[in-house]
Amino acid sequence: MELTSSVLDLNWSEVETKIRYFIKDYVEKSGAEGIVLGLSGGIDSCTAAAFSALAIDGEKVFGLLLPEQETYNTQDIDHAKFVAEKFGFKTQMIDITPTLRLFYNTIPVFEIADKICKGNVKARTRMIYIYYYANRLNSLVCGSSDKSEVMMGYFTKWGDIAADISPIMDLFKTQVRKLARHIGLPKEIATKPASPMLWPGQLAEEELGIKYETLDLILYGLEHFMEPEEIAKQLGLKRELVDKMKRRWLYLEHKRGMPLTTKIEYRTVGADFRLPHTFY
Amino acid sequence: MKEKFKVALAQITCKRGDKKGNIRKIEDNVVRARKQGAELVIFPELSVTGYVLRDQIYELAETIPGQSTDILEKLAGKTGTHIVFGLPELSDKTQATIYNAAVLVGPDGFIGKYRKMYLPTHSVFEEKRYFRPGYQTAVFETELGKIGLIICYDIFFPEVSRLTRLKGARLIICISASPVTRRTFFETLTTARAIENTAFLAYVNLVGIENGLQFWGGSRLIGPNGKVVAKTKYDKEDLMIGEVDYSDIKPIETFVPILKDLRPELFDKLKENAEKL
Repeated sequence: MELTSSVLDLNWSEVETKIRYFIKDYVEKSGAEGIVLGLSGGIDSCTAAAFSALAIDGEKVFGLLLPEQETYNTQDIDHAKFVAEKFGFKTQMIDITPTLRLFYNTIPVFEIADKICKGNVKARTRMIYIYYYANRLNSLVCGSSDKSEVMMGYFTKWGDIAADISPIMDLFKTQVRKLARHIGLPKEIATKPASPMLWPGQLAEEELGIKYETLDLILYGLEHFMEPEEIAKQLGLKRELVDKMKRRWLYLEHKRGMPLTTKIEYRTVGADFRLPHTFY
Repeated sequence: MKEKFKVALAQITCKRGDKKGNIRKIEDNVVRARKQGAELVIFPELSVTGYVLRDQIYELAETIPGQSTDILEKLAGKTGTHIVFGLPELSDKTQATIYNAAVLVGPDGFIGKYRKMYLPTHSVFEEKRYFRPGYQTAVFETELGKIGLIICYDIFFPEVSRLTRLKGARLIICISASPVTRRTFFETLTTARAIENTAFLAYVNLVGIENGLQFWGGSRLIGPNGKVVAKTKYDKEDLMIGEVDYSDIKPIETFVPILKDLRPELFDKLKENAEKL
C-alpha cells in the first residue's frame, strides 16, 4: 500500500449522505426531539453541528457555547455563531467560569499548577451542561470527536468524548477538514489549528508532537495493519515517531470502551453480554 | 413447469426483534407484488427478525417449519405465490444450535430451507459466534423450475452457486444483509455468478440502518448474460418486478459455453490445494 494523502480522499458526497442518513435515522428511531451539542467554534464541533442541522432541520438543533475566562477566544465564538446562522440552528452561550471556580475552591486537593487535571475539570463541566440541556429538551447529545483524536486517546474520559452519537468519529482530522469544506464551511474554520481549549495557548498538534497531515497517514497505515517500519520508510519519518504513535494508540484503548470488570458470572457487561447498541 | 414468470425483489427495512411487524411488512409486499403479477417474492437475509441481533438471536431463533414459516406458508397458499425469506433457525433435533437460514414456501406449502454455509466472522460480522454453518447446498424443484438458494457471503465462494447450478438450478436466489462498504464487491460478484453459471441470479439485500451499519439495498435480477433485468433503488425500501425467461439461457450457453467447458478434474486440484493454504 502506498501511503500518500490520496488514500484519505473519499467521495465526499457519499460520506455526506451516510452521515446525514445516520443522524436522521438514529434521532427518529430513538424518539428524541432533537440534538444538543457543545459548540466550541472548532472544526469538529462546527462540522458535527452543521451535519445535525442538515440531517434533522436546524429548528431541532441546539448549540451550547461554553467559554471560560482562561481560554476565552473571540474568534472561536464568532465562528460558532457564524455556523449556527448559516445552518439555521439556535445557540446559547454560558460562561462556565463561576462553576469552574467552585470546583477549584472546593476540591481539597486541587492543584492549580496541574493543568491536565484542571483542564479535565473543564471538559467534564462542559459535559454536565450539555447533558443537562439534552435531558431538559428530550434531545440526544451529538459528539464531535474525530478518528485521529479517538485513536490517540486525545480527549477527556467522560468529558468531550461523552455523547449519544458521534457521527464524524470514523473520519480522521484531515478528512473532517475536507468534509467541512464540502458542506460549505469556510476555509477559515476548516483549516484553523485544533485545540481542546483546556488551557491558554493549547494546540493539539503541539501537544501530540506531530502535524495532523502526518499523523493521519500513520494512523491510516496502522489501521490497515502496516508495519511501523514500512510506514516510517514511506513517510520519511523516524521509526521512533511511528512507534510512539502506535504505543499511544494501543495503550489508551481503556479510554474508548466500557470500564473493565473481572469475569465472575454467566454473562458480563462489556465482555460477553453482547447486545445491539440500540434495539431501534 | 413454467418457463417464464415474474419475480419481485422485495427490498425492505426490518425492525430488529419485531417478528410480527416484519411479517406484516412481508405480507403487505407479497400482496402488492402479486397484484403486479409476481409469482415469486424474495426478501432479504434474516428478514423476519432483522440482522444485527447479537445475543437476542438465542431468543428469536425458531424451528423451520415453525411459527413464522407457518404464517408465511399460509400467505403463499392464499396468494398463490412462492416466497423466500430469512430467519434464524433453531435446530429441531438439538433444540440448541442455530443456523442462518433461507426458507422457500409455495402455494402448496413448505418447499425447503437452506442453511448458510459461509458465515462471515470478520470486520463487523460475528456470525460464527452464533450460527452453526450449513453443510449442504440447496436446490428445490418447484412449479417455477429448479431454484437454488444461497445467502450473502456465500456469493464470495463460487463453488456454492456452481453446485446449485450443477444440481440443475436455473434461478439462483441470494438473500443478503450487505452493508454499504461492501457494495462494490456484491455488484461485481452477483453479475459474475450469473455469467459463470449461465443462470438467472436474483439478489435481494436489506436496506436501512442497524447498529450503525447502513445496508445499501440495490437488489437486482440478473440474466444469464450478466445484464440487469430489474434493479431496486439504493438505500430505500423498494419493490421491483422482473421477468425470468429460461429460454434466454440456452442461447447464452451456446455463445459462451461455460457449463460445457467445465473441467471437473480441476475441482480435485482445488480441494488438494485449498487444504494446504
